[in-house]
Amino acid sequence: MKSQKLTPYLMVSPYILHLGFFVLFPIVFSVILMFHRWNIISPMEFVGFQNFVKLFQDRLFFQSILNTLIFLLIHIPLQIVIALFLAEMLNQKIRLRGLLRASYFLPVVISGVVVTIVWSQLYGQDTGLLNRILVNIGLPKVGWLIDPAIAMPSIAIMATWKNVGLYVVLFLVGLQSVPPQYYEAADIDGASHWQKFRYITIPAINPTIFMVVILSTIGGFSLFIEPYIMTSGGPLNSTVSAVLYIYKQAFTYYHMGYAAALGFFFAAIIMLFVFIQRKVIERD
Amino acid sequence: MKTSTIFCGGYLCSLLFYKKETAQRAVFTFLLIFGFTLIACNNDKNNDGSDFLQYWSSNNPYEIEFAEYIVGEWNRLNTEKKVFSQPVPEGRSSEEVILAAVVGKTTPDIYSNMWQGDVEFFARSGTLIPLDTLDGFLETLYQRCDSSVIDEITSADGHIYQIPWKINPIMLIYNVNLFKSVGYKKPPQTYSQFLDAGEKLHQDLDGDGYVDLWVGYSSILADWWQRFFDFYSLYLGASNGGKLIDQGKVVFNNQSAIAVFRFLQEVYKKGYFTKELLSARQDVFIEGFIASRFVGPWEVIHAEKFKKEGFDYHFRELPVPDSHSGPVYTYGDPKNIVIFNTCKNPQKAWNFLRYLISEENDFKLLEITTQLPRRKKLIKIKQFADYFEKNPKLKPFAIQAEHVRGTDVCAQLKEIFDVISQEYEACVIYDTKTPEEAINDAAEAAQVILN
Repeated sequence: MKSQKLTPYLMVSPYILHLGFFVLFPIVFSVILMFHRWNIISPMEFVGFQNFVKLFQDRLFFQSILNTLIFLLIHIPLQIVIALFLAEMLNQKIRLRGLLRASYFLPVVISGVVVTIVWSQLYGQDTGLLNRILVNIGLPKVGWLIDPAIAMPSIAIMATWKNVGLYVVLFLVGLQSVPPQYYEAADIDGASHWQKFRYITIPAINPTIFMVVILSTIGGFSLFIEPYIMTSGGPLNSTVSAVLYIYKQAFTYYHMGYAAALGFFFAAIIMLFVFIQRKVIERD
Repeated sequence: MKTSTIFCGGYLCSLLFYKKETAQRAVFTFLLIFGFTLIACNNDKNNDGSDFLQYWSSNNPYEIEFAEYIVGEWNRLNTEKKVFSQPVPEGRSSEEVILAAVVGKTTPDIYSNMWQGDVEFFARSGTLIPLDTLDGFLETLYQRCDSSVIDEITSADGHIYQIPWKINPIMLIYNVNLFKSVGYKKPPQTYSQFLDAGEKLHQDLDGDGYVDLWVGYSSILADWWQRFFDFYSLYLGASNGGKLIDQGKVVFNNQSAIAVFRFLQEVYKKGYFTKELLSARQDVFIEGFIASRFVGPWEVIHAEKFKKEGFDYHFRELPVPDSHSGPVYTYGDPKNIVIFNTCKNPQKAWNFLRYLISEENDFKLLEITTQLPRRKKLIKIKQFADYFEKNPKLKPFAIQAEHVRGTDVCAQLKEIFDVISQEYEACVIYDTKTPEEAINDAAEAAQVILN
């Protein structure tokens, strides 16, 4: 009897231990770190709220948040529109549908580092394929990664290409769950394709849209690999994302306490952002 | 480590052992605990001072070969204290691996690939042994290095925590035929000549409307370490080996730094260096897209392996301001040897290191790795001189070795270089600031970091 009571605890204990060591402990430790100065190898020094005072005076950190928001502003709508369009297409009875579905998903499973390196070449100023195409059709070259105004949109386009397949699949699931009777009724009423899409499809897949927005917002806030490899945050800090900035503070300069404070502040922003998004979407 | 290993073993055992206490499971559990305990004990064996010294080398294949050779010879000749070598474990960078080892107290006794710029950071935290307290260290050091090198490696607290071991001076590799084609029998040596060559070499060779030949290339990314291979090397050349930081004060707000920024700003403004990220494509120097580049001697092995027939290259000093006089200094990219405080017998570790850095083994280092030992008047020592005669591509580096500098003594060096890199990007690459403004802003920001 006693052993029966213990069994479930033993079964869940690996996960509890994992959660404790790799999630709860880091969170508690980060809270402690926020109030200390610590370079990993020297003893911690209590500094009170000094890290937060520094945070509010750190222009580059706020620029990194702004950069991240610019990325999200381009990436999320672009991703939803393209993913929904592709999902709608792939939901039709077209030839090679299976192959096309797999093709759109392919970039999702390719390593982010590989994709980033390949796109760096495509974005090349003088020898990149995209600029060659532009010049061949009589358009001027674009400084994809070297123009401060263009670099973040360029990264957003690449991130959209990389991730869109995942959201296509999610939208496909959503589209296939819309009861066909709705469309049949609309056909009888003489609704156009756009009207069916606007008044049946969109409301019916609203939970999917909500999920995609939340997932891409959280994914977008953690933007790191792309600017880390492609631009190192340049040109002129225009692609320094918040996570990249926190990473640099922690693992280049070993300002662990300050990085913990930045991390907490940024986590609070993400929570606030997701909360507002949720309220807005629920209201709609 | 012991506690955590035994704990993990015990935990696994309890899962297995929990329900039915059969004899079989009891025996298995005992073996498992015993095994884990052995592993746990073994982890600390290298630090107990009784069995062997653990030595971590760099993890490139040539240095692994060198480390194996040295350790093999040492162990064959000495029965008193054996050395066990292994390459530094794989990680994103060896610096991060060492940091993790320091935190986990799993550092080796000896590490031979410590970037000089990191030593002060580790020294201040007390994780390194002050080598000047060991018998015979200073004597050997003075025999090996001149006073400027010793001054360069002496920490702020007056102790010496590192052995200057090897260098890879940054020089200009150049395509002989390309420079000849624009009238330069020797590559340009001054900024004006370099800009002139840049103008002549900046060409669209196949007439497709795109420039496909540049005088040189350097990454435009604002990573702090990139500046060692452009700004810092050129600054050392322009300033006759001047410092950036001296005793906690910024000293780079000067005409040499401004001249370097102005020179590179012009290079980029006129398009003589491309702003593209060329690192992920085929070798642009070997393929003839760029006529020169700032590199170290590691490029010799690479170029020899991949060069095409008729491709002729050579090395010389980096360009300097037109008014420059005297020898041309450059960055030596020094990698040094340290003993960690986890070593229980530093004197015995030093005895092994004295053997490792002997003249004979320095020569072995050069032979196996083509990296230069940081030893005074290297080019004048007979066996080295003979080697460089047989390997003429490396000879310029041996000559340059007389005029190299490492990094300044500063625990915040990465932050300082990051600040310089930010201003470099703003001024040199994007021309949003004058060189004077950029250097001044970098100096002010760097001083704030130091304060």
